[in-house]
Amino acid sequence: MGSRPLLGESTMSFPRSQAALHGVRVLDLGGEKGAFCAKLLADMGADVIKVEPPGGDRARRVGPFLSDLPDPEKSLSFWYNNTSKRGITLDIGKPRGQGIVKSLARTADVLLDGCGPGYLEGLSLGYEALTRVNPGLTLTSISNFGRTGPRRGYLSSDIVAAAMGGQTYICGDTDTGPVTPYGEQACLVASVFGAIGTLMALRHRRVSGRGQQVDISIHECAVGVTEHVLIRHFYDGVVARRQGSLHWDNAFRVFPCRDGWVLLSLFGEWDTVVEWLDSEGMAADLKEERWRDPEVRRMEVEHVIEVLEGWTRRHRAAELMEQGQAMHLPWAVVHTLRDVKGSTQLLERGFFVEVAHPGEGRSFSYPGAPYVLSRTPWRIWKRAPLIGEHNEGILMGELGLTAKEMGDLAEEGII
Amino acid sequence: MPGALSGVRVLDFTAVLAGPFATRMLADHGAEVIKVQSRLTAGGPAHNLTGYFAAWNRNKLGITLNLSKPEGVQLARRLVRISDILVENFSPRVMENWGLDYAALRKERPELIMLSMSGMGRTGPWRDYFAFGPTVQALSGMTYLTGSPGRAPLGLGYSYADHVAGLMGVLAVLAAVEHRQRTGEGQHIDLSETEAMCSLLGTGMLDSACNGRDPAPEGNSSPQRLGAPHGVYRCRGEDRWCAIAVFNDQEWDAFCQALGRPSWTVRAEFSSQGQRWKHSAQLDAVVEEWTSQRDAREVMESLQRAGVAAGVVQNASDLAGDPQLKARDFFVELEHPVLGRTVSDGSPIGLSETPAVYRRAGPELGQDNDYVYRSLLGLPEAEIERLTAAGVIF
Repeated sequence: MGSRPLLGESTMSFPRSQAALHGVRVLDLGGEKGAFCAKLLADMGADVIKVEPPGGDRARRVGPFLSDLPDPEKSLSFWYNNTSKRGITLDIGKPRGQGIVKSLARTADVLLDGCGPGYLEGLSLGYEALTRVNPGLTLTSISNFGRTGPRRGYLSSDIVAAAMGGQTYICGDTDTGPVTPYGEQACLVASVFGAIGTLMALRHRRVSGRGQQVDISIHECAVGVTEHVLIRHFYDGVVARRQGSLHWDNAFRVFPCRDGWVLLSLFGEWDTVVEWLDSEGMAADLKEERWRDPEVRRMEVEHVIEVLEGWTRRHRAAELMEQGQAMHLPWAVVHTLRDVKGSTQLLERGFFVEVAHPGEGRSFSYPGAPYVLSRTPWRIWKRAPLIGEHNEGILMGELGLTAKEMGDLAEEGII
Repeated sequence: MPGALSGVRVLDFTAVLAGPFATRMLADHGAEVIKVQSRLTAGGPAHNLTGYFAAWNRNKLGITLNLSKPEGVQLARRLVRISDILVENFSPRVMENWGLDYAALRKERPELIMLSMSGMGRTGPWRDYFAFGPTVQALSGMTYLTGSPGRAPLGLGYSYADHVAGLMGVLAVLAAVEHRQRTGEGQHIDLSETEAMCSLLGTGMLDSACNGRDPAPEGNSSPQRLGAPHGVYRCRGEDRWCAIAVFNDQEWDAFCQALGRPSWTVRAEFSSQGQRWKHSAQLDAVVEEWTSQRDAREVMESLQRAGVAAGVVQNASDLAGDPQLKARDFFVELEHPVLGRTVSDGSPIGLSETPAVYRRAGPELGQDNDYVYRSLLGLPEAEIERLTAAGVIF
């Protein structure tokens, strides 16, 4: 696998000072819910200081773990969501911890808050208190249901967020209950919205000189990525329901193959598809003129599926994708993650990046940039921080705490 | 009130969902987005009169421009000269064939930020692959992994990856804006929808890379957190469900309290989180006995009161009436000249000083030709008439 083919010159030799968000400092109190938000900013060059409670963030206890060994330094979800950050430990529940947050907030452009509505205010670390020390500060809060409204105090988790957001109801087989989308998506999507809102606030600050509050409700973010659901309800009075792998407008479906699964479109290039089936003697009655009417196919989609399924079962998934794509059909192999890792397209584009883990004595292959910027390098600058890895560098080096003060803080359990 | 992005002008050559979703975010937050369409591809005015179009193109200006004519390409170049950002989601060679690729356009406008969105990215052996959201979801692993263990893959059944690509596209554009404000430099962004989707499956991919495992669908279970009970449970009524998540002893105690501590809750096999996880099939059965006699909303409310994460599996109608969404003014009502009163989902980005502003629903085909060509580009009336008659503004 080569290095990433770039639009312009190679970014490999770029220093972090040329990254898009160089010079932006983020104080990351986002916890688990906002971790990915700060990672997105950090990989684009922002200086992110992750603040964890003494002993480490709760997210460090979530697997999977390297070699399946539960260990707060080996959580792969923590690794992925906290790249390129520095990390300190701090008990913000104690006054001295709060004082340190304030000192750090003075130097920050953004404070990312995943503590839940009202929590930071209760510690006198709310927006008003913080902007007294730093009027340009942007306070981005990512919370379950937002900072306001009757359910702002509701508890949540990924399965609850996807359910309340309307994603779960439309996923699943017709003969089973609803199924949650894979991969704890609600928090991740909210994190991307949060990063966008943060950059919008930074842009406005350039004009006005003032910061602002960014209020991100994970619930609203989940609702905001359900494509057709609200539109069909508001315009056609339709309550969308789950229908297996069949796309909501019946345009795509998953089919079994000899060696796995393939996604086929059911409506484009119909004549080409029928000709292809017919050349193998598998078109059955689909050759009849009436099936050329897309409306007939939509209405009687079950029959189309049955004939196609008889045909796909005789083929390998990759062969159908390749030949289909050559005919401009939007077909795809249903990849497992192992397939994704071996995908020639991703490898050719240098999507995966090696990240050194000196403590493990080796490096690991991470999914890389979600976007390729021609001039400002995206990079995983460093693996996720170890617990308290940068306590000295930041608290002594930047805030000027003495060795004795550090000793006291450790003794009091604040760091 | 000015939006966070006011003063930013965006030239929008995108269609369907991923691109329009991206440029809608910019428009909602104050950018002036000019959506460029052509009668050749749009067909006719009816194209812009669906709810789908009106929703995803809210707050945008609409112009027509025929790029198959040399004069159309020239006009596009003039529009680039007065724009900050260009977004397109053609397949990789299309803009090049018109001479509207980044290398050419940066000569017109050196500070231009250009976002090119495509299914696979602009390079690599599959760069010309034809892809919609479902294609991307299949190629990224999302389709395989969303489903129940031991059953055929389901996937999501809607174009989630288009939303993800739109989000990542906007994020990259705003980072480029930040860079431009610091240095004056523009740049080109190559966004592969597949890579954007893969970046939201990072933990699973690391599991595969580090542990040599091929992650399997998990249904509604949470094996990494040992959630139990953890799932969606049938409630009273037709196809009504409530999601419940319990991860530790404290939450379990709250759960038991909400249920009135029935005797089964003290059974040995439910005595610790590990035990409950191990016996989750049994646990699910007794939990569902309790939920199935109650309304989903009642289940949610009584569990939430006790301190347990729970939520109704909401359908479209529930969402439209959701009290939390209503209290936060999530829904946007706008009058459309043909469609009448429209309702759509607002921006989930709450900005205290520069909130999103909703001016109008999606434009009619060519609705803003006059404003853009005459007021912004300064073309004389007669020239606009000539270009319209010649099928260039078309």
